[in-house]
Amino acid sequence: MSVLQANCPSCGASIEFQAGSTIVLVCPYCRSAVARTDRGLNDLGKVAEIADSQSPLKLGLKGTWKDIRFELTGRAQYRHELGGFWDEWYATFSNGWVGWLAEAQGRFYLTFFQPLAQGTTLPSFAEIQLGQFVNEVPSQSPLMVQEKGAATTAAADGEIPYQFTPNEKVQYADLAGKGGSFGTIDYSSDPPWVFVGQQVTLAEIGLGDAKPVQRDARKVSAAAMGCPNCGGPLDLTVPDQSERVTCPNCNSLLDVNQGNLTYLHALNPPPAEQQFLLAVGIEGTFAGDVKYKIIGAMIRSVTIEGIKYFWHEYLLYNPMIGFRWLVHSDNQWNFVEPVNPADVEQVAYIGAGAVVKYGGNSFKIFQDAPAVVEFVKGEFYWRVEQGETVRAADYVSPPKMLSLEMTGNEMNWSLGTYMTNAEVEKAFTVADLPKPWGVAPNQPFTGRFYYTWGFLPLLLLLVVAIFMIPLTGLTKTILNQQIVLPPMTNPQTPQVVFSQPFPIKANGNVRITANAPLNNTWADLDVDLVNDQSQEVESVNVPISYYSGVEDGESWTEGDQSQDAILSSLPAGQYTLRVEGTWENATQPMSVSVKVEQNVNRGVNFCCAGVVLLLIPLLNLFRKISFESRRWKDSMFGSSSSSGSSDSDDSSYSSDD
Amino acid sequence: MFRKLYLVFGAGVLLFYTASAWFGWEIANSGSHSRLGVPFIYTGFRGGK
Repeated sequence: MSVLQANCPSCGASIEFQAGSTIVLVCPYCRSAVARTDRGLNDLGKVAEIADSQSPLKLGLKGTWKDIRFELTGRAQYRHELGGFWDEWYATFSNGWVGWLAEAQGRFYLTFFQPLAQGTTLPSFAEIQLGQFVNEVPSQSPLMVQEKGAATTAAADGEIPYQFTPNEKVQYADLAGKGGSFGTIDYSSDPPWVFVGQQVTLAEIGLGDAKPVQRDARKVSAAAMGCPNCGGPLDLTVPDQSERVTCPNCNSLLDVNQGNLTYLHALNPPPAEQQFLLAVGIEGTFAGDVKYKIIGAMIRSVTIEGIKYFWHEYLLYNPMIGFRWLVHSDNQWNFVEPVNPADVEQVAYIGAGAVVKYGGNSFKIFQDAPAVVEFVKGEFYWRVEQGETVRAADYVSPPKMLSLEMTGNEMNWSLGTYMTNAEVEKAFTVADLPKPWGVAPNQPFTGRFYYTWGFLPLLLLLVVAIFMIPLTGLTKTILNQQIVLPPMTNPQTPQVVFSQPFPIKANGNVRITANAPLNNTWADLDVDLVNDQSQEVESVNVPISYYSGVEDGESWTEGDQSQDAILSSLPAGQYTLRVEGTWENATQPMSVSVKVEQNVNRGVNFCCAGVVLLLIPLLNLFRKISFESRRWKDSMFGSSSSSGSSDSDDSSYSSDD
Repeated sequence: MFRKLYLVFGAGVLLFYTASAWFGWEIANSGSHSRLGVPFIYTGFRGGK
């Protein structure tokens, strides 16, 4: 570093240009912007005080990036043309690099000046379009225009590495690429300057210990800076970033400029029967034990086929993280956070069948309609107005929902995550939130487990069945005997014949098959298995009938000459069959072939177990189809083909876990 | 909770099936003394005479 000591041309105080890269130094005594030139020092004029900010950064903080140490040596504040400030910090590296650390809405972007190859021509500010890839800018991944606009240099502090002129209007285009790549085209010079880098966390640049400025909400007293309309007091949680605030006393919309309030107009009343369920000012604890405070709330609407649908959005704020949203629609809740537009792979059109990809998931289009701000309450970081309209398109992949909001100058993607009522109640320690009706666009189906992992028992059943065949043994015939029943003396008095004794083993089912050469007649056999030792009897009935003939030239048959009966396993031992029969031709003897088998593989037990195990998976499959049908009936692009939507197995969405 | 109950139920069905296969029980049988038979799938019934 080359240190230059000099006297301020405005006040004469001693000032020091610490870094060789410093072009402008803000005199800490008189706040003049002092520029270092070849011919000496120039006074560029007074620079405003840096607006109050809860930024965790401050001049003099030291960090590291890619193992190179740096120090924050300067800071400039820019005013966005649509309202709001952002900070740019200048990081002077130990190797002479100068980095720009931009801070906006709690996010940080570290960029470096990127010289372009000779002959490279960038699209002009007028030509550059939102969503356009600017391939002329070298980067790890293609950079897409996320925002274009104009800003005004508002304030500065410390050492600035370029010609900082107070109140100068600067046109710029912000670019974003995959993986947090980031770039800016600064159109204030000709040719434009290009800065390329990436989104970083404070921990990644060695500033993880930096803490936000802790202070109470700035109280604007009635006497000093109260509501310019009614004089009522106002609390501003983020006075350095808020652009609009509503007065709860007189329902006025006020402009906020550095804590100074200007009356704009009275708010139109909220739509009938549209009440906020959560109060502005309360704090909630979300995933990761992160606390957010509700600083604003709004009612928005879309009109579809002449019907207006309302929903509520709560603006959440955490000084270390920035702004998030909690969206309440049809008593369903979503926690919404911004995403890098370049990480969203989108199709060239927005319409039926459109699918975008983000984070490895495919999101199907659900809605595309102009969203209108109907009512606002609290403070907002942009110049919100009733009637403000953006094009809003929602894409769903339960439990996530990607939303695109587009205006002429800006496109923003955000990612909503479905929250159950219980989660919202727990976050804000409230009770009895109204129960939701219908199915939310990104509500996860909670029964997926049953038709995915639920098939596991069925698979195991198949495996067990296959393994049990060799274990229990193959079918074995233990009796095969031809017996003859003598003619009946009386058709009502059956004849009885005993078989030869045969052994039965334990733990094996028993099948008794009787075969009789019948034709157009019947026989009814009552078969008893008699245990020779215990005399216990197990009885089965085996009716046989067989009929055949020719009718209208076609032969037909009915019944079978062979029938069987099955028994569960019997105690091991010696058994005899007692066959008692009656038959139609009582005067004729009846010849019957009797066969007894053990370990018969029938499959009935398997089928019964399979049916029982299939019931719940099938039931949930039908529930899923019905659930998806109800989800998509509310979509502008509803389609039953959407039933294949992915679901979450996350038990946090489960109502039954 | 229901998921665990379902898995316990599934494991119970599997266990019962395995025991049936091992001990030679037939859920659908024609035995006069069987306590396991299920009437509506009683295999001995072949219709009237």
